[in-house]
Amino acid sequence: MNDLLFDVGYGHFLVLAAVLFLIGVAGVLVRRNALIILMSVELMLNAANMTLLTFSRMWGDQSALAAHTFALIVIGVAAAEASVGLAIVVAVFRGRRNVDVDKLTTLRH
Amino acid sequence: MKISAFLIALGLVLGIATPAIVAAQPVPTAERPGGAKEVRAVVEKTHPHDDIVESHGKGMAILFWIFAAVCITGAVFVVTRRNLIAAVMGMVGSFIGIAAVYMMLYAQFLAVIQMLVYAGAIMVLFVFVIMILNRPEDEPVAPTGRAGQVLGGVAILYLIGRLAMILINVTLPNKAMALAAPAAINLPVFGAGSGAPVSEAVGWGTVKAVGTDLFGGGLFPFEAISILLLVAVVGAIAIARPLHPHDGTDADPGVHP
Repeated sequence: MNDLLFDVGYGHFLVLAAVLFLIGVAGVLVRRNALIILMSVELMLNAANMTLLTFSRMWGDQSALAAHTFALIVIGVAAAEASVGLAIVVAVFRGRRNVDVDKLTTLRH
Repeated sequence: MKISAFLIALGLVLGIATPAIVAAQPVPTAERPGGAKEVRAVVEKTHPHDDIVESHGKGMAILFWIFAAVCITGAVFVVTRRNLIAAVMGMVGSFIGIAAVYMMLYAQFLAVIQMLVYAGAIMVLFVFVIMILNRPEDEPVAPTGRAGQVLGGVAILYLIGRLAMILINVTLPNKAMALAAPAAINLPVFGAGSGAPVSEAVGWGTVKAVGTDLFGGGLFPFEAISILLLVAVVGAIAIARPLHPHDGTDADPGVHP
């Protein structure tokens, strides 16, 4: 127990990333507001980034810096995704006056 | 709301404190006489594990637990709060904690980018959209009933437990590298006069090291991401633009059918 508390190793970082990812998954599955769902997706992307950086730190040599580049690219993709997703939310709200994903069922009928 | 404000204040203070503490940690380098090997020998004697990230006392461990608590509390705020602004504030706190964890992983550049891009830009974008929408939601959580919620909670906890059991035992294949901080890497210096090629040692994870990799092997993804961002900006403007700009003020969304 003492080892688990005070010998913080790479496993701790990986578990933290996994917990954040699962909270993001829970947010996507449970919440019905499109904005919260987008934020949960951002949370999952961050957890993936943390896993990348943990493994990069684990190897710790020059070639492992490619993981930093990859994480930077992921942040860029997340920014693009957030902007387009929020634009879609605004467009949907303009037409329907709500962003509840359970009520947006026009394509189903 | 008060709790989220406290969370953000805590994250800010800790985020400022971390770089100082990380900088104060003795980095075992080759130049320091008798530094690295003695530290490593003592650490290997007292800690039989091979995957201790920071082994200079319990300070880093305590900091890790604090940052992990900030991250997870903010993330739980995002999922559970009914108020959207409270959810965004929890998200900002979570991002600040994540940036601090990046700093503990010697990813200084990524930590700063995380603060600037996520906590700064993307969350402000979310706040803008929430202010535009300006509508309280009726039923925040999918109506699955009490049994469904309990089942979902148990499933999430089970997943977390299984993942933790697997991931907590991850060890480094190369045990010699496990203890020390990442060594400085040598980069060639271009345009430094003439003569023999010289090299320069820069810290692992700094802007210079990451930038060399980004504009070396990662040049094509970098250019591709710039195209992607351009397309995203144009697409966002095209999607969010009012369909009929002449029959109403733009300030009142919802007048357009």
